[in-house]
Amino acid sequence: MKVSPEYYDEIFSFKGEWDMPSTCGLKIRRSCGKVFVIVTELYQDNPGTSVTYAGQKLAEQICQAKGLEMSAITYVECNPDTNSKLSFYDEEYFQVDFNADLQHRYRQMDRAEVEKMLQG
Amino acid sequence: MNFKLKLIYPKWQKLKGQTTFNLPPHGPVAFAATLPDWVEVSFTDENVETIDFEEECDGVALSMMLSTQVKRGWEIADEYHKRGKLVFAGGISTMLHAEEMVNHVDSVFLGESEGRMEQVMLDWTRGELKKLYNFMGNMPPIESVGPCRRDLYKRELYNHKGVQMVDLFHASRGCRFSCYPCAVSYLGGRCFRPRPIDKVVEDMAGIENNRLFIVDNSLAQNKEWEKELFRAIAPLKKKWISHTIEDDPEVLDLAAKAGAWYVYQAVYDTSDYIRERVKRYHDYGIGVEGTILLGLDNQTADDCKRLIDFLGEIDLDLAEFTVLTPFPHTKVYDDLLRQGRIFDFDWNHYNAGQVVFQPKKMTPDELQDIYEYAWKNFYKDESQEQKMFRLFCNVALREMEEGTYRPRDRKLANKSFGRDVVRNIKK
Repeated sequence: MKVSPEYYDEIFSFKGEWDMPSTCGLKIRRSCGKVFVIVTELYQDNPGTSVTYAGQKLAEQICQAKGLEMSAITYVECNPDTNSKLSFYDEEYFQVDFNADLQHRYRQMDRAEVEKMLQG
Repeated sequence: MNFKLKLIYPKWQKLKGQTTFNLPPHGPVAFAATLPDWVEVSFTDENVETIDFEEECDGVALSMMLSTQVKRGWEIADEYHKRGKLVFAGGISTMLHAEEMVNHVDSVFLGESEGRMEQVMLDWTRGELKKLYNFMGNMPPIESVGPCRRDLYKRELYNHKGVQMVDLFHASRGCRFSCYPCAVSYLGGRCFRPRPIDKVVEDMAGIENNRLFIVDNSLAQNKEWEKELFRAIAPLKKKWISHTIEDDPEVLDLAAKAGAWYVYQAVYDTSDYIRERVKRYHDYGIGVEGTILLGLDNQTADDCKRLIDFLGEIDLDLAEFTVLTPFPHTKVYDDLLRQGRIFDFDWNHYNAGQVVFQPKKMTPDELQDIYEYAWKNFYKDESQEQKMFRLFCNVALREMEEGTYRPRDRKLANKSFGRDVVRNIKK
Protein backbone atom coordinates (compact mmCIF):
# COMPACT_ATOMS: atom_id res chain seq x y z
CA MET A 1 0.00 0.00 0.00
CA LYS A 2 2.91 2.31 -0.75
CA VAL A 3 1.89 5.60 -2.33
CA SER A 4 3.94 6.68 -5.34
CA PRO A 5 6.00 9.88 -4.76
CA GLU A 6 4.50 11.18 -8.02
CA TYR A 7 1.49 12.14 -5.94
CA TYR A 8 3.29 14.73 -3.88
CA ASP A 9 6.07 17.32 -3.85
CA GLU A 10 6.64 17.00 -0.14
CA ILE A 11 5.59 15.05 2.91
CA PHE A 12 3.71 17.38 5.23
CA SER A 13 3.68 16.61 8.96
CA PHE A 14 0.62 17.77 10.86
CA LYS A 15 -1.18 17.41 14.16
CA GLY A 16 -4.10 15.10 13.58
CA GLU A 17 -7.08 14.31 15.73
CA TRP A 18 -6.14 14.78 19.38
CA ASP A 19 -2.73 16.06 18.24
CA MET A 20 -1.67 12.69 16.90
CA PRO A 21 1.50 13.01 14.78
CA SER A 22 0.27 12.52 11.21
CA THR A 23 1.59 12.93 7.68
CA CYS A 24 0.20 13.49 4.21
CA GLY A 25 1.48 14.15 0.72
CA LEU A 26 1.28 17.80 -0.36
CA LYS A 27 1.28 19.58 -3.71
CA ILE A 28 0.45 23.21 -4.27
CA ARG A 29 -0.46 24.22 -7.82
CA ARG A 30 -1.43 27.58 -9.30
CA SER A 31 -3.78 27.17 -12.21
CA CYS A 32 -6.59 29.20 -13.85
CA GLY A 33 -6.10 31.96 -11.28
CA LYS A 34 -6.60 29.57 -8.37
CA VAL A 35 -4.28 28.13 -5.73
CA PHE A 36 -4.91 24.39 -5.42
CA VAL A 37 -3.75 22.76 -2.20
CA ILE A 38 -3.72 19.01 -2.88
CA VAL A 39 -3.36 16.66 0.08
CA THR A 40 -2.79 12.95 -0.50
CA GLU A 41 -3.52 10.16 1.95
CA LEU A 42 -0.36 8.13 2.60
CA TYR A 43 -2.01 5.07 4.21
CA GLN A 44 0.75 2.94 5.80
CA ASP A 45 3.11 5.93 5.93
CA ASN A 46 0.62 8.04 7.85
CA PRO A 47 0.84 6.98 11.50
CA GLY A 48 -2.06 9.18 12.62
CA THR A 49 -5.27 10.71 11.36
CA SER A 50 -6.43 10.36 7.76
CA VAL A 51 -6.54 13.49 5.63
CA THR A 52 -10.33 13.24 5.38
CA TYR A 53 -10.83 12.94 9.11
CA ALA A 54 -8.37 15.76 9.79
CA GLY A 55 -10.26 17.90 7.27
CA GLN A 56 -10.26 21.61 8.02
CA LYS A 57 -7.67 21.31 10.82
CA LEU A 58 -5.19 20.02 8.24
CA ALA A 59 -6.08 22.72 5.72
CA GLU A 60 -5.50 25.39 8.37
CA GLN A 61 -2.13 23.94 9.35
CA ILE A 62 -1.02 23.91 5.71
CA CYS A 63 -2.14 27.48 5.18
CA GLN A 64 -0.30 28.60 8.29
CA ALA A 65 2.89 26.77 7.30
CA LYS A 66 2.81 28.01 3.70
CA GLY A 67 1.58 31.56 4.30
CA LEU A 68 -1.71 31.04 2.48
CA GLU A 69 -5.18 32.40 3.23
CA MET A 70 -7.84 29.74 3.80
CA SER A 71 -10.34 31.82 1.85
CA ALA A 72 -8.00 32.04 -1.13
CA ILE A 73 -7.29 28.35 -1.68
CA THR A 74 -9.09 25.53 -3.44
CA TYR A 75 -8.62 22.53 -1.22
CA VAL A 76 -8.43 19.07 -2.79
CA GLU A 77 -8.13 15.63 -1.22
CA CYS A 78 -6.50 12.88 -3.23
CA ASN A 79 -7.21 9.21 -2.70
CA PRO A 80 -4.13 7.84 -4.52
CA ASP A 81 -3.92 4.76 -6.71
CA THR A 82 -1.93 2.13 -4.83
CA ASN A 83 -1.95 -0.57 -7.51
CA SER A 84 -4.29 -2.58 -5.34
CA LYS A 85 -6.78 -5.02 -6.85
CA LEU A 86 -9.36 -3.46 -4.57
CA SER A 87 -11.49 -0.78 -6.20
CA PHE A 88 -11.50 1.47 -3.15
CA TYR A 89 -7.79 2.11 -3.57
CA ASP A 90 -8.22 3.57 -7.06
CA GLU A 91 -7.26 7.18 -7.73
CA GLU A 92 -9.88 9.82 -6.91
CA TYR A 93 -9.75 13.60 -6.36
CA PHE A 94 -12.32 15.53 -4.31
CA GLN A 95 -12.69 19.27 -4.03
CA VAL A 96 -13.64 20.15 -0.46
CA ASP A 97 -15.91 22.99 0.66
CA PHE A 98 -15.59 23.28 4.43
CA ASN A 99 -18.53 25.66 4.60
CA ALA A 100 -20.94 23.04 3.30
CA ASP A 101 -22.67 20.40 5.45
CA LEU A 102 -21.20 16.90 5.61
CA GLN A 103 -23.38 15.51 2.84
CA HIS A 104 -22.32 18.23 0.39
CA ARG A 105 -18.78 18.97 1.47
CA TYR A 106 -17.02 16.85 -1.17
CA ARG A 107 -17.27 17.02 -4.94
CA GLN A 108 -15.49 14.41 -7.00
CA MET A 109 -13.44 16.01 -9.78
CA ASP A 110 -13.46 14.56 -13.27
CA ARG A 111 -10.33 13.56 -15.15
CA ALA A 112 -10.13 16.73 -17.26
CA GLU A 113 -10.40 18.96 -14.20
CA VAL A 114 -7.68 17.01 -12.43
CA GLU A 115 -5.33 17.18 -15.41
CA LYS A 116 -5.87 20.91 -15.79
CA MET A 117 -5.21 21.43 -12.09
CA LEU A 118 -2.03 19.37 -12.11
CA GLN A 119 -0.64 21.04 -15.22
CA GLY A 120 -0.67 24.41 -13.49
CA MET B 1 -6.35 6.68 50.61
CA ASN B 2 -9.43 4.94 49.26
CA PHE B 3 -11.67 5.61 46.27
CA LYS B 4 -14.70 3.55 45.30
CA LEU B 5 -15.09 3.44 41.55
CA LYS B 6 -18.25 2.17 39.88
CA LEU B 7 -17.14 0.59 36.59
CA ILE B 8 -19.90 0.05 34.01
CA TYR B 9 -20.05 -1.72 30.67
CA PRO B 10 -23.21 -0.32 29.01
CA LYS B 11 -25.71 -2.58 27.29
CA TRP B 12 -26.57 -2.49 23.61
CA GLN B 13 -29.42 -3.75 21.49
CA LYS B 14 -28.58 -7.25 20.25
CA LEU B 15 -29.19 -8.13 16.62
CA LYS B 16 -32.60 -9.64 16.07
CA GLY B 17 -32.83 -13.24 14.94
CA GLN B 18 -29.38 -14.16 16.19
CA THR B 19 -28.44 -16.32 19.14
CA THR B 20 -27.26 -14.05 21.95
CA PHE B 21 -24.16 -15.10 23.82
CA ASN B 22 -22.85 -12.73 26.45
CA LEU B 23 -19.11 -13.13 26.85
CA PRO B 24 -17.29 -11.64 29.83
CA PRO B 25 -16.08 -8.30 28.45
CA HIS B 26 -12.36 -7.76 28.16
CA GLY B 27 -12.00 -3.97 28.11
CA PRO B 28 -13.32 -3.20 31.61
CA VAL B 29 -11.16 -5.81 33.33
CA ALA B 30 -8.07 -4.83 31.33
CA PHE B 31 -8.70 -1.22 32.39
CA ALA B 32 -9.34 -2.21 36.03
CA ALA B 33 -5.97 -3.96 36.11
CA THR B 34 -4.28 -0.60 35.50
CA LEU B 35 -5.90 1.13 38.49
CA PRO B 36 -3.85 1.73 41.63
CA ASP B 37 -4.41 -0.62 44.59
CA TRP B 38 -6.21 2.03 46.61
CA VAL B 39 -9.07 2.16 44.11
CA GLU B 40 -11.86 -0.25 45.01
CA VAL B 41 -13.81 -1.35 41.96
CA SER B 42 -17.42 -2.48 41.71
CA PHE B 43 -18.19 -3.75 38.21
CA THR B 44 -21.55 -3.99 36.42
CA ASP B 45 -21.98 -5.41 32.94
CA GLU B 46 -25.37 -4.01 32.00
CA ASN B 47 -25.83 -6.72 29.37
CA VAL B 48 -26.37 -9.29 32.09
CA GLU B 49 -27.47 -7.28 35.14
CA THR B 50 -29.21 -4.04 36.09
CA ILE B 51 -27.31 -0.95 37.21
CA ASP B 52 -28.04 0.11 40.78
CA PHE B 53 -27.67 3.87 40.41
CA GLU B 54 -27.99 4.27 44.18
CA GLU B 55 -24.94 2.10 44.94
CA GLU B 56 -22.49 4.14 46.95
CA CYS B 57 -19.43 5.26 44.97
CA ASP B 58 -16.98 8.14 44.68
CA GLY B 59 -17.05 8.22 40.89
CA VAL B 60 -18.11 6.34 37.77
CA ALA B 61 -16.11 4.94 34.86
CA LEU B 62 -17.69 3.83 31.58
CA SER B 63 -15.83 1.26 29.50
CA MET B 64 -17.20 1.01 25.97
CA MET B 65 -16.18 -1.09 23.00
CA LEU B 66 -18.99 -0.74 20.45
CA SER B 67 -20.50 2.24 18.68
CA THR B 68 -23.88 0.87 19.76
CA GLN B 69 -22.88 1.40 23.41
CA VAL B 70 -22.05 5.09 23.30
CA LYS B 71 -25.55 6.57 23.40
CA ARG B 72 -26.50 4.29 26.28
CA GLY B 73 -23.26 5.36 27.97
CA TRP B 74 -24.38 8.99 27.68
CA GLU B 75 -27.76 8.13 29.25
CA ILE B 76 -25.96 6.45 32.14
CA ALA B 77 -23.72 9.50 32.53
CA ASP B 78 -26.84 11.70 32.70
CA GLU B 79 -28.28 9.53 35.49
CA TYR B 80 -25.09 9.82 37.54
CA HIS B 81 -24.84 13.55 36.90
CA LYS B 82 -28.30 13.91 38.50
CA ARG B 83 -26.77 12.24 41.56
CA GLY B 84 -23.77 14.58 41.56
CA LYS B 85 -21.21 11.98 40.42
CA LEU B 86 -18.41 12.61 37.96
CA VAL B 87 -18.19 10.24 34.99
CA PHE B 88 -14.99 9.15 33.26
CA ALA B 89 -15.01 7.26 29.93
CA GLY B 90 -12.54 5.14 28.01
CA GLY B 91 -12.31 2.21 25.62
CA ILE B 92 -12.50 1.64 21.89
CA SER B 93 -15.76 3.44 21.13
CA THR B 94 -14.85 6.30 23.44
CA MET B 95 -11.82 6.81 21.21
CA LEU B 96 -13.81 6.46 17.97
CA HIS B 97 -16.50 8.91 19.13
CA ALA B 98 -14.33 11.13 21.33
CA GLU B 99 -15.47 14.42 19.78
CA GLU B 100 -19.02 13.76 20.95
CA MET B 101 -18.02 11.95 24.13
CA VAL B 102 -16.42 15.06 25.62
CA ASN B 103 -19.85 16.71 25.58
CA HIS B 104 -21.48 13.98 27.69
CA VAL B 105 -18.96 12.93 30.35
CA ASP B 106 -16.64 14.77 32.71
CA SER B 107 -13.41 13.18 31.58
CA VAL B 108 -12.36 11.25 28.48
CA PHE B 109 -9.37 8.93 28.32
CA LEU B 110 -7.83 8.29 24.90
CA GLY B 111 -5.23 5.58 24.43
CA GLU B 112 -4.05 2.64 26.50
CA SER B 113 -4.23 2.98 30.29
CA GLU B 114 -1.22 0.97 31.51
CA GLY B 115 0.97 3.17 33.69
CA ARG B 116 -1.39 6.16 33.41
CA MET B 117 -4.19 5.58 35.90
CA GLU B 118 -2.32 6.37 39.11
CA GLN B 119 -2.03 10.00 37.96
CA VAL B 120 -5.61 10.15 36.70
CA MET B 121 -6.96 8.82 39.99
CA LEU B 122 -4.79 11.19 42.00
CA ASP B 123 -6.16 14.08 39.93
CA TRP B 124 -9.67 12.83 40.62
CA THR B 125 -9.22 12.57 44.40
CA ARG B 126 -7.76 16.09 44.44
CA GLY B 127 -10.72 17.48 42.52
CA GLU B 128 -8.49 18.10 39.51
CA LEU B 129 -9.84 15.55 37.05
CA LYS B 130 -9.01 16.77 33.55
CA LYS B 131 -11.53 16.93 30.73
CA LEU B 132 -9.19 14.99 28.48
CA TYR B 133 -6.34 12.53 29.03
CA ASN B 134 -4.85 12.13 25.62
CA PHE B 135 -2.37 9.32 25.03
CA MET B 136 -3.23 8.72 21.38
CA GLY B 137 -0.20 7.48 19.50
CA ASN B 138 1.75 7.22 22.76
CA MET B 139 1.63 3.52 23.54
CA PRO B 140 2.85 2.21 26.89
CA PRO B 141 5.53 -0.50 26.81
CA ILE B 142 3.84 -3.75 25.81
CA GLU B 143 5.64 -5.45 28.72
CA SER B 144 3.51 -3.37 31.09
CA VAL B 145 0.32 -5.13 29.99
CA GLY B 146 -0.50 -7.45 32.86
CA PRO B 147 -3.24 -9.93 33.74
CA CYS B 148 -6.80 -8.60 33.65
CA ARG B 149 -8.90 -8.21 36.81
CA ARG B 150 -11.06 -11.26 36.03
CA ASP B 151 -11.93 -11.47 39.72
CA LEU B 152 -14.44 -8.68 39.01
CA TYR B 153 -16.64 -10.95 36.88
CA LYS B 154 -19.77 -12.43 38.39
CA ARG B 155 -19.02 -15.75 36.74
CA GLU B 156 -22.48 -17.24 37.02
CA LEU B 157 -23.78 -14.53 34.69
CA TYR B 158 -21.56 -15.69 31.81
CA ASN B 159 -23.01 -19.14 31.75
CA HIS B 160 -25.55 -20.69 29.39
CA LYS B 161 -27.38 -23.74 30.76
CA GLY B 162 -24.40 -24.67 32.91
CA VAL B 163 -21.77 -24.11 30.20
CA GLN B 164 -19.22 -21.43 31.01
CA MET B 165 -18.56 -18.93 28.22
CA VAL B 166 -15.04 -18.43 26.88
CA ASP B 167 -12.75 -15.86 28.49
CA LEU B 168 -11.31 -13.18 26.24
CA PHE B 169 -7.55 -12.85 26.11
CA HIS B 170 -5.04 -10.78 24.19
CA ALA B 171 -1.54 -11.86 23.25
CA SER B 172 -0.70 -8.69 21.31
CA ARG B 173 -1.91 -5.20 20.48
CA GLY B 174 -1.82 -3.09 17.34
CA CYS B 175 -1.98 -4.33 13.79
CA ARG B 176 0.39 -3.95 10.88
CA PHE B 177 -2.50 -4.21 8.44
CA SER B 178 -4.90 -1.35 7.91
CA CYS B 179 -7.91 -2.98 6.36
CA TYR B 180 -10.65 -1.05 4.62
CA PRO B 181 -13.42 -1.36 7.25
CA CYS B 182 -11.22 -1.57 10.36
CA ALA B 183 -10.18 1.10 12.90
CA VAL B 184 -7.62 -0.94 14.82
CA SER B 185 -4.61 0.71 13.24
CA TYR B 186 -6.02 4.08 14.39
CA LEU B 187 -6.72 2.80 17.88
CA GLY B 188 -3.78 0.56 18.64
CA GLY B 189 -1.21 1.79 16.17
CA ARG B 190 -0.17 0.50 12.78
CA CYS B 191 2.49 -1.60 14.40
CA PHE B 192 2.14 -5.14 15.67
CA ARG B 193 3.09 -5.20 19.36
CA PRO B 194 3.33 -8.75 20.66
CA ARG B 195 3.37 -9.33 24.40
CA PRO B 196 6.40 -11.18 25.74
CA ILE B 197 5.70 -14.90 25.49
CA ASP B 198 6.48 -15.62 29.16
CA LYS B 199 3.92 -12.98 30.20
CA VAL B 200 1.32 -14.47 27.87
CA VAL B 201 1.84 -17.95 29.31
CA GLU B 202 1.72 -16.73 32.90
CA ASP B 203 -1.42 -14.71 32.23
CA MET B 204 -3.18 -17.49 30.33
CA ALA B 205 -2.29 -20.11 32.94
CA GLY B 206 -3.94 -18.00 35.63
CA ILE B 207 -7.36 -17.94 33.96
CA GLU B 208 -9.94 -20.19 35.60
CA ASN B 209 -11.32 -21.30 32.26
CA ASN B 210 -10.09 -23.92 29.82
CA ARG B 211 -11.71 -22.18 26.87
CA LEU B 212 -10.53 -18.84 25.61
CA PHE B 213 -11.02 -16.42 22.74
CA ILE B 214 -7.71 -14.86 21.75
CA VAL B 215 -9.10 -11.56 20.51
CA ASP B 216 -6.00 -10.23 18.73
CA ASN B 217 -6.95 -8.88 15.31
CA SER B 218 -4.89 -11.43 13.49
CA LEU B 219 -2.31 -13.86 14.77
CA ALA B 220 -0.82 -13.96 11.27
CA GLN B 221 1.44 -10.94 11.75
CA ASN B 222 4.80 -12.42 12.65
CA LYS B 223 5.34 -16.06 11.83
CA GLU B 224 8.22 -16.68 14.24
CA TRP B 225 6.37 -15.08 17.17
CA GLU B 226 3.26 -17.04 16.25
CA LYS B 227 5.17 -20.35 16.26
CA GLU B 228 6.87 -19.50 19.53
CA LEU B 229 3.51 -18.56 21.06
CA PHE B 230 1.87 -21.84 20.04
CA ARG B 231 4.78 -23.93 21.34
CA ALA B 232 4.67 -22.07 24.65
CA ILE B 233 0.93 -22.31 25.30
CA ALA B 234 0.52 -25.95 24.18
CA PRO B 235 1.36 -27.39 27.64
CA LEU B 236 -1.51 -25.35 29.18
CA LYS B 237 -3.97 -27.54 27.24
CA LYS B 238 -6.40 -24.64 26.81
CA LYS B 239 -8.76 -24.68 23.87
CA TRP B 240 -9.16 -21.40 22.05
CA ILE B 241 -10.86 -19.44 19.31
CA SER B 242 -8.96 -16.79 17.36
CA HIS B 243 -8.95 -14.71 14.24
CA THR B 244 -6.83 -15.70 11.25
CA ILE B 245 -3.83 -17.99 11.68
CA GLU B 246 -0.93 -18.00 9.19
CA ASP B 247 -1.61 -20.20 6.18
CA ASP B 248 1.45 -22.37 6.65
CA PRO B 249 1.48 -26.13 7.39
CA GLU B 250 3.97 -25.84 10.24
CA VAL B 251 2.06 -22.98 11.90
CA LEU B 252 -1.30 -24.71 11.49
CA ASP B 253 0.12 -27.91 12.96
CA LEU B 254 1.53 -26.01 15.94
CA ALA B 255 -1.75 -24.14 16.37
CA ALA B 256 -3.73 -27.37 16.43
CA LYS B 257 -1.36 -28.86 19.01
CA ALA B 258 -1.65 -25.65 21.06
CA GLY B 259 -5.43 -26.04 21.28
CA ALA B 260 -6.84 -24.10 18.30
CA TRP B 261 -10.56 -24.85 18.45
CA TYR B 262 -11.91 -22.72 15.64
CA VAL B 263 -10.95 -19.53 13.80
CA TYR B 264 -12.74 -16.60 12.25
CA GLN B 265 -11.77 -16.51 8.59
CA ALA B 266 -12.88 -13.84 6.13
CA VAL B 267 -14.65 -15.31 3.11
CA TYR B 268 -14.59 -12.52 0.55
CA ASP B 269 -14.93 -14.34 -2.76
CA THR B 270 -15.77 -17.70 -4.32
CA SER B 271 -12.22 -18.60 -5.29
CA ASP B 272 -10.44 -21.93 -4.97
CA TYR B 273 -8.05 -20.14 -2.63
CA ILE B 274 -10.85 -19.66 -0.08
CA ARG B 275 -12.06 -23.23 -0.59
CA GLU B 276 -8.54 -24.57 0.02
CA ARG B 277 -7.93 -22.21 2.94
CA VAL B 278 -10.98 -23.58 4.78
CA LYS B 279 -10.00 -27.14 3.90
CA ARG B 280 -6.48 -26.65 5.25
CA TYR B 281 -7.84 -25.52 8.64
CA HIS B 282 -10.09 -28.58 8.72
CA ASP B 283 -7.20 -30.88 7.76
CA TYR B 284 -5.59 -29.87 11.06
CA GLY B 285 -8.80 -30.31 13.04
CA ILE B 286 -9.44 -26.58 13.36
CA GLY B 287 -13.02 -25.42 12.85
CA VAL B 288 -13.88 -22.38 10.73
CA GLU B 289 -16.40 -19.62 11.28
CA GLY B 290 -16.60 -17.68 8.04
CA THR B 291 -16.98 -13.93 8.35
CA ILE B 292 -18.75 -12.47 5.37
CA LEU B 293 -18.90 -8.76 4.73
CA LEU B 294 -21.75 -7.67 2.45
CA GLY B 295 -22.16 -4.37 0.62
CA LEU B 296 -18.70 -3.65 -0.77
CA ASP B 297 -18.65 -1.41 -3.82
CA ASN B 298 -17.72 -4.21 -6.19
CA GLN B 299 -20.66 -6.39 -5.12
CA THR B 300 -23.98 -6.58 -6.91
CA ALA B 301 -26.95 -8.28 -5.30
CA ASP B 302 -26.24 -11.34 -7.46
CA ASP B 303 -22.57 -11.38 -6.39
CA CYS B 304 -23.68 -11.45 -2.76
CA LYS B 305 -26.09 -14.29 -3.41
CA ARG B 306 -23.40 -16.27 -5.24
CA LEU B 307 -21.09 -15.76 -2.26
CA ILE B 308 -23.79 -16.93 0.14
CA ASP B 309 -24.49 -20.03 -1.98
CA PHE B 310 -20.75 -20.75 -2.13
CA LEU B 311 -20.66 -21.08 1.67
CA GLY B 312 -22.68 -24.27 1.39
CA GLU B 313 -19.92 -25.79 -0.76
CA ILE B 314 -16.99 -25.12 1.53
CA ASP B 315 -18.17 -26.85 4.69
CA LEU B 316 -17.99 -23.90 7.08
CA ASP B 317 -18.78 -24.78 10.67
CA LEU B 318 -20.38 -21.40 11.33
CA ALA B 319 -20.88 -18.16 9.44
CA GLU B 320 -21.30 -14.60 10.57
CA PHE B 321 -22.67 -12.00 8.19
CA THR B 322 -22.22 -8.27 8.52
CA VAL B 323 -23.07 -5.32 6.34
CA LEU B 324 -20.35 -2.84 5.58
CA THR B 325 -20.46 -0.15 8.28
CA PRO B 326 -18.55 3.14 8.12
CA PHE B 327 -17.16 3.32 11.63
CA PRO B 328 -15.33 6.61 12.26
CA HIS B 329 -11.58 6.56 11.65
CA THR B 330 -11.74 3.89 8.96
CA LYS B 331 -11.05 4.27 5.28
CA VAL B 332 -14.59 3.23 4.46
CA TYR B 333 -15.87 6.15 6.57
CA ASP B 334 -13.63 8.60 4.72
CA ASP B 335 -14.62 7.23 1.32
CA LEU B 336 -18.35 7.12 1.91
CA LEU B 337 -18.35 10.51 3.62
CA ARG B 338 -16.57 12.11 0.66
CA GLN B 339 -19.02 10.49 -1.70
CA GLY B 340 -22.01 11.72 0.33
CA ARG B 341 -23.25 8.15 0.78
CA ILE B 342 -23.69 7.95 4.55
CA PHE B 343 -27.36 8.69 5.30
CA ASP B 344 -27.57 7.61 8.93
CA PHE B 345 -25.34 8.90 11.73
CA ASP B 346 -27.31 7.36 14.60
CA TRP B 347 -24.62 5.31 16.37
CA ASN B 348 -27.26 2.91 17.71
CA HIS B 349 -27.67 1.73 14.14
CA TYR B 350 -23.94 1.03 13.68
CA ASN B 351 -24.32 -2.63 14.65
CA ALA B 352 -23.08 -4.09 11.35
CA GLY B 353 -26.54 -5.50 10.78
CA GLN B 354 -28.29 -2.34 9.64
CA VAL B 355 -27.51 -0.53 6.39
CA VAL B 356 -26.52 3.09 7.10
CA PHE B 357 -25.08 3.99 3.70
CA GLN B 358 -25.97 3.95 0.03
CA PRO B 359 -24.35 0.86 -1.56
CA LYS B 360 -22.86 1.34 -5.01
CA LYS B 361 -24.55 -1.45 -6.95
CA MET B 362 -27.82 -1.97 -5.09
CA THR B 363 -30.30 -0.07 -2.97
CA PRO B 364 -30.02 0.03 0.83
CA ASP B 365 -33.19 -2.09 1.04
CA GLU B 366 -31.76 -4.69 -1.32
CA LEU B 367 -28.61 -4.95 0.79
CA GLN B 368 -30.70 -5.22 3.96
CA ASP B 369 -32.74 -8.03 2.37
CA ILE B 370 -29.58 -9.84 1.27
CA TYR B 371 -28.16 -9.63 4.78
CA GLU B 372 -31.30 -11.19 6.21
CA TYR B 373 -31.40 -13.80 3.44
CA ALA B 374 -27.77 -14.72 4.21
CA TRP B 375 -28.48 -15.57 7.85
CA LYS B 376 -31.65 -17.47 7.02
CA ASN B 377 -30.12 -19.38 4.13
CA PHE B 378 -26.96 -20.47 5.93
CA TYR B 379 -28.82 -21.68 9.00
CA LYS B 380 -31.91 -23.08 7.24
CA ASP B 381 -31.11 -26.76 7.86
CA GLU B 382 -29.35 -26.46 11.17
CA SER B 383 -29.72 -23.50 13.54
CA GLN B 384 -26.83 -21.38 14.78
CA GLU B 385 -27.24 -22.91 18.24
CA GLN B 386 -27.16 -26.46 16.80
CA LYS B 387 -24.03 -25.75 14.77
CA MET B 388 -22.40 -24.22 17.84
CA PHE B 389 -23.34 -27.32 19.81
CA ARG B 390 -21.49 -29.46 17.27
CA LEU B 391 -18.37 -27.35 17.66
CA PHE B 392 -18.82 -27.57 21.40
CA CYS B 393 -18.98 -31.38 21.20
CA ASN B 394 -15.74 -31.41 19.19
CA VAL B 395 -13.91 -29.47 21.85
CA ALA B 396 -15.45 -31.47 24.71
CA LEU B 397 -14.23 -34.72 23.10
CA ARG B 398 -10.72 -33.33 22.76
CA GLU B 399 -10.79 -32.21 26.37
CA MET B 400 -11.95 -35.65 27.49
CA GLU B 401 -9.05 -37.24 25.65
CA GLU B 402 -6.66 -34.86 27.38
CA GLY B 403 -8.31 -35.15 30.82
CA THR B 404 -9.17 -31.44 31.00
CA TYR B 405 -12.93 -31.66 30.44
CA ARG B 406 -15.07 -29.98 33.10
CA PRO B 407 -18.70 -31.12 33.14
CA ARG B 408 -21.27 -28.37 32.96
CA ASP B 409 -22.45 -26.86 36.21
CA ARG B 410 -25.74 -28.62 36.96
CA LYS B 411 -26.75 -25.89 39.42
CA LEU B 412 -26.89 -23.46 36.50
CA ALA B 413 -28.57 -25.81 34.00
CA ASN B 414 -31.77 -23.79 34.15
CA LYS B 415 -30.08 -20.42 33.81
CA SER B 416 -28.92 -18.52 30.77
CA PHE B 417 -26.80 -15.45 31.49
CA GLY B 418 -28.40 -15.03 34.89
CA ARG B 419 -31.98 -15.42 33.68
CA ASP B 420 -34.28 -18.43 34.01
CA VAL B 421 -34.42 -20.66 30.94
CA VAL B 422 -37.91 -20.98 29.52
CA ARG B 423 -38.31 -24.47 28.15
CA ASN B 424 -40.99 -25.42 25.64
CA ILE B 425 -41.80 -28.85 27.01
CA LYS B 426 -45.21 -30.13 25.90
CA LYS B 427 -47.19 -31.86 28.63
